[in-house]
Amino acid sequence: MTAGNWGFVVAAYGLAAVVLIAYWRFLVRREKELQGQGSGVSEPQASVSGHPRSEPASRSPLP
Amino acid sequence: MRRLLGGVTLAGLVAGLVMGFAIAPREATQGNVQRIMYLHVPSVWVAYLAFGVVLVASVVYLMRRAEAADRLAHASAEVGVLFTGLTIATGSIWGKPTWGAWWTWDARLTSVSILFVMYLGYLLLRGMIEDRERGARFAAVLGIVAAFNIPLVHFSVYWWRTLHQPPSLMKPGPGTMPDIIVAALLVNFAAFTLLYVYFVTRRARVLRLEAEAEA
Amino acid sequence: MVWKDLLVERRSKETLNALFFFGLLLLFVFQFALGPDRERLAGTLPGLLWLGFILSGLLALGRTFVVERENDCWEGLLLAPGDKSAIYVGKLAGNLLLMLAIEAILLVLFGFFFNLDLANVLPGLAVVIALGTVALAAVGTLFAAMTAQVRARELLFPVLLLPVEAPVLLATVKATEAVLLGETLGSVAHWLKLLAAADVVYVAVGVLTFDFVLEA
Repeated sequence: MTAGNWGFVVAAYGLAAVVLIAYWRFLVRREKELQGQGSGVSEPQASVSGHPRSEPASRSPLP
Repeated sequence: MRRLLGGVTLAGLVAGLVMGFAIAPREATQGNVQRIMYLHVPSVWVAYLAFGVVLVASVVYLMRRAEAADRLAHASAEVGVLFTGLTIATGSIWGKPTWGAWWTWDARLTSVSILFVMYLGYLLLRGMIEDRERGARFAAVLGIVAAFNIPLVHFSVYWWRTLHQPPSLMKPGPGTMPDIIVAALLVNFAAFTLLYVYFVTRRARVLRLEAEAEA
Repeated sequence: MVWKDLLVERRSKETLNALFFFGLLLLFVFQFALGPDRERLAGTLPGLLWLGFILSGLLALGRTFVVERENDCWEGLLLAPGDKSAIYVGKLAGNLLLMLAIEAILLVLFGFFFNLDLANVLPGLAVVIALGTVALAAVGTLFAAMTAQVRARELLFPVLLLPVEAPVLLATVKATEAVLLGETLGSVAHWLKLLAAADVVYVAVGVLTFDFVLEA
């Protein structure tokens, strides 16, 4: 009964890992961008797109 | 300071994983699928914690107009929605082998889904109001309404599911769990709470940097 | 204030007309979807009734501030001296009357089309409907003010209102179900208490926070 159910356990933990790590990466990347802006980098960093975000609403990327 | 928090969080998560997989035994009736509980239940707890913080931060904002309170509310709501979504997903994945269906209208999944949509709406509202100050004010009001709604959701859904329903439809509660499983659960609780704090502080920091950049 | 009353009156009449036809349309749709199966229809009647109420409510409540918005009176609202909560209570009362009127009409239509004997259950039904409507109107009025100036308000208003009203809808449907089956109000006392609690909380929050919503 339970041998085949490891798939579900892996799916759950895998999903959690993907979502949480993706959010963490979003935070890290956003912070780097903004700090780059703040310290007066001559060329504004291109807004990052394409990295997975798991929530729909967040502040729009800086121009 | 943040590195320390990050490090402790990571350590906590690893400890949680170890407890969940290596130390906790395979559960008698459900088998290994029960280990999903170590994800699902702490996620619910974090969600409620997050929304409680949203309430407090919202009230503080309306009384003091402190931008920091507004950022805290925003960050906490976002992390709360994240963990609420995770709760639903893990609950569904747990449900399939256990009850045979991806979705059961049981009390927890139903109430959590309502909360999910409520706070998703909160984030939508924030996203749709251009004026920063007005957005903060309105979000604070919504945060208060939503928080007061949580107990109403709880009781209504619980009564809906348990009155005139056989109790077997409810998920097994923590009443008769062996100590080792409780211990594993508590470790994961702690780990997830640390993760919540870590995420919220980073997110609030990003919000502050954004506000400074726009100024 | 008289000026305001007149405006409310005019808006209400056109809204009421539109909502009457909307209710009629809903009934036809329900009948087409569930008509042939008489028993299933009977079982779903409480849910359908409240579905009709909430859909009409969305339309009616969403238009709470349409007059101020369209006639550029919004600034006037924000700059009005004194306690803004009075505006909330005024709008709430207006919305309550409007919604109760729609619900009465819908109830009559339901009774007519689905051959319900409402005479016996009317008192109990009235209590449930009153309690539920206060909860709908209280939050609806508040959210209508908050979404009035948002560009996608027709989308955002229902998205905000419906999840908040989910427990209220649950309670009203369960209570209505019991009442229509001829049971006493006492048997659903817990649902009624939940509705009463919701009413108190929502109106209180509305009154206390409206000042913040209509701040200049």
